[in-house]
Amino acid sequence: MGLFDKLAGWLGLKKKEVNVLCLGLDNSGKTTIINQLKPSNAQTQDIVPTIGFSIEKFKTSSLSFTVFDMSGQGRYRNLWEHYYKEGQAIIFVIDSSDKLRMVVAKEELDTLLNHPDIKHRRMPILFFANKMDLRDALSSVKVSQMLCLENIKDKPWHICASDAVRGEGLQEGVDWLQDQIKTMRT
Amino acid sequence: MSAAPAEMKENIEANSKWLDAHYDPVANLYTFSSCIALADLQGDGENKLVVGDLGTGACNMKLKVYRGTSLMSENTLLDLPTGLVSFLMDQHEPRTPAVAVASGPFIYVYKNLRPYFKFTLPTLEVNPLEQDVWSQAKEDMIDPVSLKEMLEGIRDKAEIPLSVRSLKFLMLEPQEMEAYVNLHKQNPIRRQTVITCISTLKKNMADEDAVSCLVIGTESKDVYILDPEAFTILSKMSLPSSPTLMDVTGQFDIEFRITVACRNGNIYILRRDSPKPKYCIELTSHPVGLVRVGKNVVVGCAQETLQGYTQKGKKLWTVYLPAPVTTMGLMDHHTRGFQAVLVGLANCEVHLYRDKNLISTIKTPDVVTSVCFGRYGREDGTLIMTTKGGGLMVKILKRTAVFEDKDTAPGPPLAQSIRLNVPKKTKLYVDQTMRERENAVAMHRAFQMDLSRLRLAVARAYVKALESSLTPVSASLSEPLKMHAVVQGLGPSFKLTLNIQNTAVCRPVMNLAVSFLYDESLYSMKTAFFKIPLLVPGLNYPIDTFVECLTDKGISDIIKVFVLREGKSAPLLTAHINMPVSEGLALA
Ligand SMILES: Nc1nc2c(ncn2[C@@H]2O[C@H](COP(=O)(O)OP(=O)(O)OP(=O)(O)O)[C@@H](O)[C@H]2O)c(=O)[nH]1
Ligand SMILES: [Mg+2]
Repeated sequence: MGLFDKLAGWLGLKKKEVNVLCLGLDNSGKTTIINQLKPSNAQTQDIVPTIGFSIEKFKTSSLSFTVFDMSGQGRYRNLWEHYYKEGQAIIFVIDSSDKLRMVVAKEELDTLLNHPDIKHRRMPILFFANKMDLRDALSSVKVSQMLCLENIKDKPWHICASDAVRGEGLQEGVDWLQDQIKTMRT
Repeated sequence: MSAAPAEMKENIEANSKWLDAHYDPVANLYTFSSCIALADLQGDGENKLVVGDLGTGACNMKLKVYRGTSLMSENTLLDLPTGLVSFLMDQHEPRTPAVAVASGPFIYVYKNLRPYFKFTLPTLEVNPLEQDVWSQAKEDMIDPVSLKEMLEGIRDKAEIPLSVRSLKFLMLEPQEMEAYVNLHKQNPIRRQTVITCISTLKKNMADEDAVSCLVIGTESKDVYILDPEAFTILSKMSLPSSPTLMDVTGQFDIEFRITVACRNGNIYILRRDSPKPKYCIELTSHPVGLVRVGKNVVVGCAQETLQGYTQKGKKLWTVYLPAPVTTMGLMDHHTRGFQAVLVGLANCEVHLYRDKNLISTIKTPDVVTSVCFGRYGREDGTLIMTTKGGGLMVKILKRTAVFEDKDTAPGPPLAQSIRLNVPKKTKLYVDQTMRERENAVAMHRAFQMDLSRLRLAVARAYVKALESSLTPVSASLSEPLKMHAVVQGLGPSFKLTLNIQNTAVCRPVMNLAVSFLYDESLYSMKTAFFKIPLLVPGLNYPIDTFVECLTDKGISDIIKVFVLREGKSAPLLTAHINMPVSEGLALA
C-alpha cells in the first residue's frame, strides 16, 4: 500500500477524494482545527465564528479531504443534517473546558447518531477533545465518559485530546481517520 | 396507582425540554431572584452569573461570580444585599457592565469586579423635637430615664418618625442607657432609610447594550432614578406605601413606566412626568412576585394565586396554584421570541406559564428560592435556579424544545371543546323535510295501506300452500310429518334421498306411500311409486331411489314428490326437487 501510495504520488496520480463533516458546538474550535490542517501558505490568521458553513480542502499522504466546516451556533445547527448524506466521515469537536455545555454537545451528538442518514452507516467518527491547554479542561477520557461514547457500537470512533491553536494532537486524529477511510474503501 | 404513570409522563415532558447542565446541591448559595444577574462582565462573549449571596444568618454575605460550573470570584459584602443588577454605566470601551449591589442605605458599584463607587441615599429630615431632646442630653440637662420618656412621647405622636439612634436607645436595658447616650450624644442625629428594591432603566436608547440608570425603591416610600455616571438623583417619585418589588420599562429621556408592588398590598404604576402613581391595582392578598410580560403584569399573590393585569391595571385572569409562590422570574428567549413566566413553588416545582396556561412543569429536588433565565456562558436558553438548601441548578433549554400553547393542567379534555364539522343542510334535504312535514298524514295512510296489502298477499299465498299441501311440513294433526330431499351425483345417474320424519310425540304413522311426478322425456325412475313402512315418532327414515337423466342437452327440470295416504286423494306433503344439470354423458 505504502509503495503504491508513493508511486501514485510520483506519477502525479489523483488522490482519492473524501467528504468529511466537521461538527460541534460553537466556539469548540472547528475552524481553528481545519485551518491548522491546511498547508501553511493557505492558513488564515484571524478566525471568526463561522456563519452557516464553509468548505475547506486539505490533503494527507493518500487522501484529499473536502471538509464541510459547519457553524455550531444554535440557530445554524439545523443545517447540519442537510449534509449528512454527502459526508463519508465525521469530525466532532468538543470544547473540553466547557463543562456546562457538555450536555448540549451530548444532545447534539445523540441527535446526529440517531438521524436516518447516519444511523445505519458505518462511517468513522473522530472526536477532538479540544482546548486541552486550558487549565480547567477535562481529559479526553472524561469527555468520552460524559458523552457516553462507549455506547457507539456500530461505528468506528476515536477520541484525541487536542490544542488547535498550537496544532497539537491533530495529526494523530487525522492519521486514524485516514486509516479508517482506507479500510472502509478496500 | 394511576399517579405513577402520570408522574413519569410529566418527567418525560420536562426531560424533552430541558437538559440538566449542572446541579450542585451544596453550592452554599443562599439568595433570591432579586439578587441574581447574568452579564458579560469581562467582555469575552461569555456571560457570567453574578449573585448577591445572603449567606447564613448575619455573616458570609458575598458577591459571587460563577463562570460555567465553577465559582470564579468572591467579594465580601458588608451588609445583606437586597438587590443586585448589572448595567452599563458609560460608552467607554471595552463595554463591560458594572454590577450594583444594594444593601442598607447604600449602593455598591463594582467594575471589573473591583469596588468602584459607593452611593448613599440622601438622609431624611429629622424630627425637630427629637433633635431638641438630644441636644439637651448633650448638655447633660436630662438624665437617660427622662430622655427615654420624652422620646417615647415623640415616637407615639410625631409625624416624622424617630431616627435609628433613638429607636435603638428605646430598646436598651436601663443599665446600658447611660453608656449609649455618652457614646452618641456628640454626633449629629441622622435619619436614614434603606433600599428595598433596585432595577435599571435605559437612559435614552432601547438597545440591548445601552447605558442604563439605576432605579431604587426605598423604605421611605420613595422611588429614585440615578444618573448612570454621576450617580446624582435625576428624579424622585413618592408612593403611598413602601415598595417591595419593582419592574421598569422604557427609557428615561423618552417615556417609562415603573410598576411597583407595595407593602400595603397594592401595585402602583408610575410614569414619566407624574410624581404620583398613575394607576393602582388593589390586590386581595399580598404580592410576592411581580413579572412584566410585554405589556401585561403577572403578579404572584400570597393566597396561592397568579393574576394577570393590563398595564392600566385591568384584571385579565387568575390561576390557582397548588402551593405558595416562593419566587418568580421572566423567561425571555430573545432568539426564539418566546416569553413566559417562571413561578417557583413551595412544593418543589417550577411552573411555566404563558398567559394563564401552564405550559411546563419542572420538578426540583429542593424548594427553589430564585430563578433567572437568560444567556449564560454561550447558551441563550439557560435557566438558573438556587434552592432553599443552598444548591445551584442550571438547566439548558433544548434546541428542539417546543412548548404547546395549551394548558397542561388537568381539566375538561380538549376534545370537548372541538367543534364537529357538520355539513350544511342541502336544498334537497330541506325540501324533503318540508314535504314530509306537510304531507305527514297522507304518507302515513299510504304506508298503512301498502302494509295491509302486503299482509293480505302473504296470507293468501299461505292459505293456498296449505290447501294444496305444497309445504314439506304436514300441518294435519293426525299425520304430522316433515320431509327433506337430497340429490347426490353428477349425472346422468342421480341418487335421491328423502328424509322423512314423524314429528308426533308418540303416535306412529302407517299406510303411507310416496309418488314422484316428472317429465318422462327427461328423467326415468326405476320405481316412481312405493310404500313407506311404519314411521316411529322422532326417527329419521332415509329412503333412497335412483333417477336417470335421459337428455344430454344440458337442461334440468323439477321432480315433484308427494307423500300420500291410502284412501285420501290430497297429498299430505309436497316437495319440489330442483334437479341439477347432468354433467356426465348418458351411458346409453
Ligand atoms: N485555548 C484554546 N483556544 C482554542 C483552541 N481551539 C480553538 N480555540 C479558540 O476558540 C475560539 C473559537 O474557535 P473557532 O475555531 O472559531 O470555533 P468554531 O468551532 O469554528 O466555532 P463556530 O464557527 O462558531 O461554530 C477561537 O478564539 C479560538 O482561538 C484550543 O485548542 N485552545
Ligand atoms: Mg467555525
